[in-house]
Amino acid sequence: MAFKICNRETPDDGSLLSLRSERIVRALLDIGMTHSVGVPDNSSRMIFELCDKNPNVQTILVCREGEAWSIASGLWIGGAIPIVIIQNTGFFESGDALRGTAIEMGVPLVALLTYRGYRSLGTESVDTAASFFEPMLKAWGMPYHILTADTESKVFRTAQKEAEALRKPVGVLMT
Amino acid sequence: MMNRYSCLTALQKLRLPNTVVVTTMGSAAPWSHLSNSNLDFPSVGSAMGHAADFAMGIALAQPERKIWVLNGDGSMLMSLGTLVTVAQTPPPNLVIYVIQNNTYEVTGNQLIPGGDRLSMTTLAKGAGILHAYQIDSVKGMNETLPEILDQEGPIFINLLVETGQEPPPALDRPLKLVSSEFRDTLTRSSKKR
Repeated sequence: MAFKICNRETPDDGSLLSLRSERIVRALLDIGMTHSVGVPDNSSRMIFELCDKNPNVQTILVCREGEAWSIASGLWIGGAIPIVIIQNTGFFESGDALRGTAIEMGVPLVALLTYRGYRSLGTESVDTAASFFEPMLKAWGMPYHILTADTESKVFRTAQKEAEALRKPVGVLMT
Repeated sequence: MMNRYSCLTALQKLRLPNTVVVTTMGSAAPWSHLSNSNLDFPSVGSAMGHAADFAMGIALAQPERKIWVLNGDGSMLMSLGTLVTVAQTPPPNLVIYVIQNNTYEVTGNQLIPGGDRLSMTTLAKGAGILHAYQIDSVKGMNETLPEILDQEGPIFINLLVETGQEPPPALDRPLKLVSSEFRDTLTRSSKKR
């Protein structure tokens, strides 16, 4: 492991999150991931940890999400297959970097975007990180797929094919 | 303070045949007048502040090459966290040059924040980049750069230049096409080695 992802102990208890994280990382490896780039949150920290333990994947933690798009774009231009992993709040923050690098450069990038506030949708106390998210993806012209249980492999393969066909980033939303 | 063209000419003389050079903002047009290498990538029309991290990505994917980025001071300030990111996952083949003229030149020479008192090298060192230098003359470049560039990176070099009047850089082809061709160049020549 190159560096510690989180100070909290990682549960190794067969929990839903750990099983799901394992399936996601397997699916990412299946589409050829060479680098995982982004900022971990509660939903993605185990994914980063699993990536970082894999000798065939280099994990790059960034300070701000915009860096993830530009580093991933540079990696792709250099011949690698990076995956961007950030939260929806970071997606909002990083809009111009997404536009100016991955979109303008035509990078066929798969991005795993964690969906903060998903369960608040449709409630009175909706989290705007969730309610703004899909409209913002549409505004940026970024195709996306929702990741549901046990469909990880299929969803990531579909996202990658779509990214390559369109020469643009495609989101996979982790609820 | 250096004249920008004299500064870039001195840099060009130190470039190795396999060195990739990423330019942006005020360095893009002048560099294109000095070099026509197919290993030059004008990060033009791209997000301001993201040339250094973009170059970091190339450096990690192409470890056998030297990767230089000619960043602007305003651009560097827009993504200072990149210095920490570079130090955290340090590409030994990356050299970040910052062309400091204390203005956002291509948008009309508006002053950058803190230009009269900031120390780029202190910021770089504070971020954890061990090799950080400032040079303010061509003579200084000629005397010190060969030895500096011989070290394992990442290396940060702040170059003090006079304010100029470069226009906003522009590409004559879509960035998408330039990027695709550049990827082909890098990956094709990687396979040959």
